[in-house]
Amino acid sequence: MTTDVRPLSLLCELTYRCNLQCPYCYNPLDLDGYRDEIDTATWQRVIGEAADMGIVQLGFSGGEPTLRRDLSALVRTAAARGLYTNLITQGTFLDAARLAELVDAGLDHIQISLQAPERELADEIAGTVVHERKLEAIARVQNSPIALTLNCVLHRNNHDSIAAVIDLAASFGVRKLELANVQFYGWAYRNRGGLMPTREQVAHGLEVATAAKRRYAGRMEIVYVLPDYFEDRPKACMHGWGRAFMTVAPNGRAMPCPGAATITSLSFENVRDRGLAAIWNGSAAFTAYRGTAWMPDPCRSCDRREIDWGGCRCQAFALTGNGAAVDPACALSPDHDVIVALRETGSRHPTLVPRRMREATPA
Amino acid sequence: MTTALRPGFERGVRLRTADDGTAMLLVPEGAIKLNASAAAALALVDGERSIDDIVAHLCARFDVDDARARDDVTALFERLRMRRMLVLA
Ligand code: SF4
Ligand code: SF4
Repeated sequence: MTTDVRPLSLLCELTYRCNLQCPYCYNPLDLDGYRDEIDTATWQRVIGEAADMGIVQLGFSGGEPTLRRDLSALVRTAAARGLYTNLITQGTFLDAARLAELVDAGLDHIQISLQAPERELADEIAGTVVHERKLEAIARVQNSPIALTLNCVLHRNNHDSIAAVIDLAASFGVRKLELANVQFYGWAYRNRGGLMPTREQVAHGLEVATAAKRRYAGRMEIVYVLPDYFEDRPKACMHGWGRAFMTVAPNGRAMPCPGAATITSLSFENVRDRGLAAIWNGSAAFTAYRGTAWMPDPCRSCDRREIDWGGCRCQAFALTGNGAAVDPACALSPDHDVIVALRETGSRHPTLVPRRMREATPA
Repeated sequence: MTTALRPGFERGVRLRTADDGTAMLLVPEGAIKLNASAAAALALVDGERSIDDIVAHLCARFDVDDARARDDVTALFERLRMRRMLVLA
């Protein structure tokens, strides 16, 4: 079976290894299951196939992608095919030599994530001493030919620092700042009780971000991403399942979104065994929720069905056990009360479990 | 905006024209589809030509009048400048 929808973007999750331990990490709980990483030649083949398919955007993420020694080689392969290359990193390994290597390879854009604007809180969230090194990396990238975006994942423990995050970004003169409320996948889902911002925090954050957006118009673009759980219509997750995005996990598993492995009722194909285009067109995981034919009521007859494509499949599965259910974030979902109840977990304070490679007891 | 300014792409912004002639602006983690007239204007952006030069080029090549082209091009560049995709020097 082929499809006339073509992907625009491929996310290459090079490794799930990381020296940080953010409790909001969206990586899967069974990190150890991804240690068998695909090799350089396989990634290069995949990148070539992506270019052949008309993909224009390539992301390198993880875990921490700079832990792969072949990162620059992969950037070079992508740049040679005219692909736009993005590196999504926490920045602790971006010393002058590494950055020069990436500039030389033709990297277009780096996104660096910050845990918080203050050293103490940032290091506490990361579970290790990293903040100063990150600030150095930010300054270094700002002085390079590569475009820089700063990103800060917001949750209960850092949400009140939002104004300071904006000031910090402005002091570096960055062109874009993303303030994204935590999305509950992987470790973040496990820690949702401790991460869920309060309703007051979200309202305050939106107000501060909206004012800053006006203040910095034309100098710094500020994006504030509301948490799904606080809205009554879902986001167009991935612009629709199997419509624009592909992700390849460190072990070669090809997925419609980085969280898709949590939908245990699906089986995924591996780029070691099959070409990228064939997987996009024909693999059961990609066709399962593509388009609108799979939709239940009320999505099936809803006038938003080709706007939000029924919301997030991973969230539907996590909260209802059925990947083809209406996203409970939608107020029209029969399971919407689950979301309403989850919002209230923002009033409890369970302990956060730091992300670790060896996790004995997945939740 | 004075039309003597010279537009150039910001870091991390590039124009890409596909084999079928369709063009997009590639930006950090995104792609903006361009219509034919925006693509024609942006293809002339090189950090050297002024807005006046670009308008003159467009008028010579296409059947548009100067005032209309100037308005359209200025509006396009201003939108992209506000989104930090273009610098005007
Ligand atoms: S979210 Fe934190 S722990 Fe997870 S990959 Fe990014 S930096 Fe590492
Ligand atoms: S019913 Fe379905 S299509 Fe309609 S808004 Fe809700 S999730 Fe979207």
